[in-house]
Amino acid sequence: MSEQLALNARDIRKSFQIGERTIEVLHGTHLELRRGERLCLMGASGAGKSTFMHILGLLDQPTEGSVEVEGVNAWGLSVNERAKLRNQRIGFVFQFYHLLPELSAIENVVLPARIAASHGANKIDLKEINERAMEGLTRFGLSDRLTHRPSQLSGGEQQRVAIARALILDPPILIADEPTGNLDTATGKKVLDLLMEEQINRGLSMILVTHDTRLADTCDRVLTIEDGQIQSDSKFDIPH
Amino acid sequence: MYQGFLSWRFLTAKRINWVGIIGVYVGVTALILILSIMSGFLEQQRRMVRGSLAHLVVEPSPMPHIDGTPLPASSEPLQQAILADPRVESATTQLSWFSMLMQGGARGSLISTSRLSDTQSAKLVGVQIVGIDIENELRTTDLLASLQPPPAEASINQTYGYIAVENPNDPFSEPEGLEYQQPWAWCIVGQQLAIVHGLRRGSEINLGTMIPDPQTGKVRQSNRKYLVAGTFRTGENEIDLGRIYMDRRDLHDFLGTHRDYSQVLVKLHDYERDGQAVMGDLSASLVQKRLIRDAGLGELKTWEQYRGNLLGAIENEKVLMAIMLSLVLVVAGFTVFAILTMMIAEKRRDIGILAALGATPRGTMWIFLLIGFWDALLGAVGGAVTGVLAALNIDSIEQSISQALGVEIFNRDVYLFDHIPAVVDPVSVGVIVLGAFVCTLTFAAIPSWRASRMNPIDALRYE
Repeated sequence: MSEQLALNARDIRKSFQIGERTIEVLHGTHLELRRGERLCLMGASGAGKSTFMHILGLLDQPTEGSVEVEGVNAWGLSVNERAKLRNQRIGFVFQFYHLLPELSAIENVVLPARIAASHGANKIDLKEINERAMEGLTRFGLSDRLTHRPSQLSGGEQQRVAIARALILDPPILIADEPTGNLDTATGKKVLDLLMEEQINRGLSMILVTHDTRLADTCDRVLTIEDGQIQSDSKFDIPH
Repeated sequence: MYQGFLSWRFLTAKRINWVGIIGVYVGVTALILILSIMSGFLEQQRRMVRGSLAHLVVEPSPMPHIDGTPLPASSEPLQQAILADPRVESATTQLSWFSMLMQGGARGSLISTSRLSDTQSAKLVGVQIVGIDIENELRTTDLLASLQPPPAEASINQTYGYIAVENPNDPFSEPEGLEYQQPWAWCIVGQQLAIVHGLRRGSEINLGTMIPDPQTGKVRQSNRKYLVAGTFRTGENEIDLGRIYMDRRDLHDFLGTHRDYSQVLVKLHDYERDGQAVMGDLSASLVQKRLIRDAGLGELKTWEQYRGNLLGAIENEKVLMAIMLSLVLVVAGFTVFAILTMMIAEKRRDIGILAALGATPRGTMWIFLLIGFWDALLGAVGGAVTGVLAALNIDSIEQSISQALGVEIFNRDVYLFDHIPAVVDPVSVGVIVLGAFVCTLTFAAIPSWRASRMNPIDALRYE
């Protein structure tokens, strides 16, 4: 079973210390993300979905519980091994795009490959990656924006660059944190269509964090998180 | 390596980073330039001090041996013993004494009398009279160079007061065309001394001195007239203002002392190689032959030991200057520290993004440490090039600035140099560049380490 899972988070607890008070944000939360599955994580602001997403993306360590990425216990690895796992197996798309302002669009896209090279990934051929980045950006309609800095791009364009960056190393898992949350409806729809198309074409296991119910309609499964716990797990039969 | 790529991009993205680079640049330039000039001054002083001496100075004590036997009255046995060493190239004997200089002739006497009656007169100076054997002296010391006319491009300071001797190889010979009734001896005086006393070729000078009798302990006065044959210029003010050379036999005849010598100057074939060894060997052999009392009493010295105080003072000034100027590098380091701290605070979000993309904490640290490296590299290399070029062209730079400001920055009359001396020592340049790197990287390491400890989640939440 577990080898069919892209991500398996079990009994995740997360608490923060604020002064002398301990605040538990997640209370023993479980999540199983199957390969090729499109999962939607919903919840109101402050429900703990961002914290849960950071834990699933190996950016934050749970106070208790374990996270397995393709069967590997991520928090049992060293810092460097975990960083390598995050670099090569998980792609991130953030609400605020999070592009580096000093780099051009294509340089932002190639950045994960540069980092992968520092992890000793000997298959990384930067020239080939560069070509692939150009090809990806062209496919996303940004062929005339390759050398533009993020400040010279619109929100939709920045998010498309961010998606290209997340996918440059062909990761099997993609975590998207409210990817349309900062875009107008029309642009948001275009970006979402692009994201869904890539998910299908690449067979990505995707977690889509959102509080937009319309987005949830496009997912295989919807998890609702409330007060730090998964409250409902709904399945939809949506043909891809 | 993404760290190098990103660090360069972060560095060039903000103009404020150039402040750190300029800080290192200014520090390195100033250190190299000032230390090169100080080294130049030291080298010039060493050359001047060395010029009037030789490699070694054997200065037997005027005191008799412990058993009461006086040291030989003639320098001959001492000189022979020294020359017996094959590493010795030449040796020359000197007899030196102190006297008061008064000018002869009706006008000269009037001037001297007025000076003697005025205790405030700065021109009332004692002079060192040095008796030399001219042939040996010219072979052993740089006296011949001191007798040469100033070069064509020399400053007024070098040419003013210069009196050419008729024959530099025999400076005490009577100049042609000057005939005197009495067979007075001729002498050569320091150029500054000639200026102060208004001496010309053929001027009479009256040297007065006091000589103690070693037998009775009584002091007798003696004076004798000499004629000025010309001037010499070593460049060392103390000597040019206070020394008179004459033939040793004349001086011994004038003084009538027991010994006809004060010291023997020794020139070696290779001082750098043999200096210390010859010192040791000569000490042993001269004591054994009872030609000196005890080498431990300072009767045998290298020229550096002989003028150790002066050279040591300049060396100390150089070290102090280096320490003070190093503070400029520390300030530059602090600037880099402050800029990096500011940059890291500004880049909290980017640090989180990098972590999300798979950068390790160590990788993040390297990005900011490399910014410090670029600061050091650009600042230190640029500073080294500018510092070396400025040191090599310091004269033209000084002249341009003097012209532009209408102020004479380097007074050649004060220093007796016709140019600002500067010696660029590659080892010093290397040490300064290395110091700049160590200082900058040390200061860059602290904020870089802090960046690596930043929690990526805190950084990503930072909007």
